[in-house]
Amino acid sequence: MNAPIISLQGVHKYYGDHEPRLHVLRGIDLDVAEGEYVSITGTSGSGKSTLLNLLGCLDNTSEGAYLLAGKDVSCYSDDDLSKIRNEDIGFIFQSFNLIPQLTVFENVQVPLLYGSRSIADTTDLCYQVIEAVGLSERIEHRPTQLSGGECQRVAIARALINDPVLLLADEPTGNLDTSTGEEVLSLIENLHRQGRSVVMITHDPDVADRAQRRVDLRDGVIVEAGAS
Amino acid sequence: MIPLKQMELIRMGLRSLVVYPMRTVLTMLGVVFGVGSVIAMLALGAGAERELLEEIGRLGIQNIIINSVKPEEPDNASQRRNWISSYGITFKDHRQIVDTIPGIEKALPVHVSKKTVWRGSKRVEATLYAVTPEHLDMFQLNTSIGRNLTHLDDEKLSRVCVVRSGLLKELGIYQDPIGFPLNIDKETYYIVGVLEEDSFLGYARKALSVDAKSSEIYVPYSSSLRRHGTRSITRRSGSSEATDVELNQVVISVTDLDQVLLTARMLGSLLERNHPEKDYELVVPLEVLSQRQKTQQVFNIALVAIASISLLVGGIGIANIMLATVTERTKEIGVRRALGARRGHIIAQFLTETTTISTIGGAIGVLMGIGLVKVLTFFTGWSAAITLSSVVLSLSISMAVGIISGIYPARRAAGLDPIAALRHG
Ligand SMILES: Nc1ncnc2c1ncn2[C@@H]1O[C@H](COP(=O)(O)OP(=O)(O)O)[C@@H](O)[C@H]1O
Ligand SMILES: [Mg+2]
Repeated sequence: MNAPIISLQGVHKYYGDHEPRLHVLRGIDLDVAEGEYVSITGTSGSGKSTLLNLLGCLDNTSEGAYLLAGKDVSCYSDDDLSKIRNEDIGFIFQSFNLIPQLTVFENVQVPLLYGSRSIADTTDLCYQVIEAVGLSERIEHRPTQLSGGECQRVAIARALINDPVLLLADEPTGNLDTSTGEEVLSLIENLHRQGRSVVMITHDPDVADRAQRRVDLRDGVIVEAGAS
Repeated sequence: MIPLKQMELIRMGLRSLVVYPMRTVLTMLGVVFGVGSVIAMLALGAGAERELLEEIGRLGIQNIIINSVKPEEPDNASQRRNWISSYGITFKDHRQIVDTIPGIEKALPVHVSKKTVWRGSKRVEATLYAVTPEHLDMFQLNTSIGRNLTHLDDEKLSRVCVVRSGLLKELGIYQDPIGFPLNIDKETYYIVGVLEEDSFLGYARKALSVDAKSSEIYVPYSSSLRRHGTRSITRRSGSSEATDVELNQVVISVTDLDQVLLTARMLGSLLERNHPEKDYELVVPLEVLSQRQKTQQVFNIALVAIASISLLVGGIGIANIMLATVTERTKEIGVRRALGARRGHIIAQFLTETTTISTIGGAIGVLMGIGLVKVLTFFTGWSAAITLSSVVLSLSISMAVGIISGIYPARRAAGLDPIAALRHG
């Protein structure tokens, strides 16, 4: 049996340095196996994004351990964590988070700027991932010239460019209408079928149910909603 | 491979400068004006220094010039009519200098007097310089037409002269002037040469007691001495005044440049002994030059200091706007951090932006400074010299301004918590 790619053990997260602290996560135990597709639901403000940021090595736990691919992330330096985010994790955000002054192509290139591969060697790859999300015609456009669905597809291409093992999506369809949301979801599910682990936050139960496993975040703890 | 990535990083980093061109221009304005003024100040400073060198260098830094100076008269003296006032360097002084002071190559006597030159009904006031032929060589008084004065002229006491072309115009002589007779004080001199169109400038003019307003006529020293003597009479508002100055000027050339100051001191003490009334003036071009250069350097430093303040202000301007940009682009910084940018990458990005802004601003400033210098020299006649080193200096300073002014904003940006940055706006 493979070690889980993600393993949270008794994780707490609180904000603020002194009382009264905002205690958002109150003892999370969660394992995600390699290649697993997990959805997280919960009411607004329940700490879903906080949890995802922890998983994405953007933030530290207040208590408890986070093992990523079996290693405790608290051992890593800031630069190591940057490298992990760059190479192993792909982020997809609700508000797309594209860089407005860059073109579609350049936005997709951004993670390459911070990695070890050369730009020249990866030009073809950029075209490929952009093609994979169906935006070959839009390469020279800027985010402001694109629709929401197109923006999210650029974000997916960007998340893919370094071929990460783990995809973290925070309400990827939250700003989209049903049909474009559907397109985005099927892209993400495709990536899961290619063998990547996916953790996706959503507040839409129908979307959540499409995952292999659905967990609910309630009062700072995980409630398993069972496999589908 | 790595350079290409750096290029790409820089290219994309600079995109925000292109996307907000107005802001970029406003950001660089401070540096533009700062560098522009540095360039202009340095050019004017260098120009002034060059002019000084030309001006004083013309006197010859191996030379020492002694001028006779009319002493302060007592009040009642001016009321006495037909009084002969005699002062200044004497033939005896000249002989003593030549005989007793070592290391002197030449000691050229000069007699200067105001004369009326007339031709037909035209009368022109001119300054008659009775000089030896070496004098003309020493001060590069070359003729453009005809010949210069020679030793033979001096020996034969010839009545020949070399004139400025201005005098010819004043006298209305438009035909070939060579051989033309000029009436000077009851004597007739024949023009043998016309000097090149140039004149002594500023300090050199004063040191050689050349009058800017009246034209110079150079005649052989011995001829003048024999024919006019050393006395001259000037008529002034009814009263006439006679002066007797044996030598108005002695130009001394020192053999060894190292000995100039020492020789000057010896000359000084000799003259002090002979002339307690201080009716002479000792001009040491070498000393004047070094004094003036020192003054000029202090002036240059002051100018550049003032210009640097505007550069400093320019740097503060960049830092200020960059700080605002960091706040505005907090979200972008968060996104980049989420995508794997290290703190170092963020720092590099902001430093690249500020350095680019300031360097481009510096380059524009250089062009502006050159333009400013052109305009200033055109309208004021000041002399200026734009040196390569001043351009290199200003560009390096502006680059440094970019780096320094970028450090604080860049560190602020890199220090942002990625999560907080992502949640921002
Ligand atoms: N950086 C932070 N500082 C302080 N409070 C925060 C911070 N991030 C999130 N919170 C708070 O933590 C709670 C959970 O937020 P979040 O994880 O964004 O919830 P969700 O994504 O489930 O809506 C909210 O009450 C939010 O205000
Ligand atoms: Mg959220």
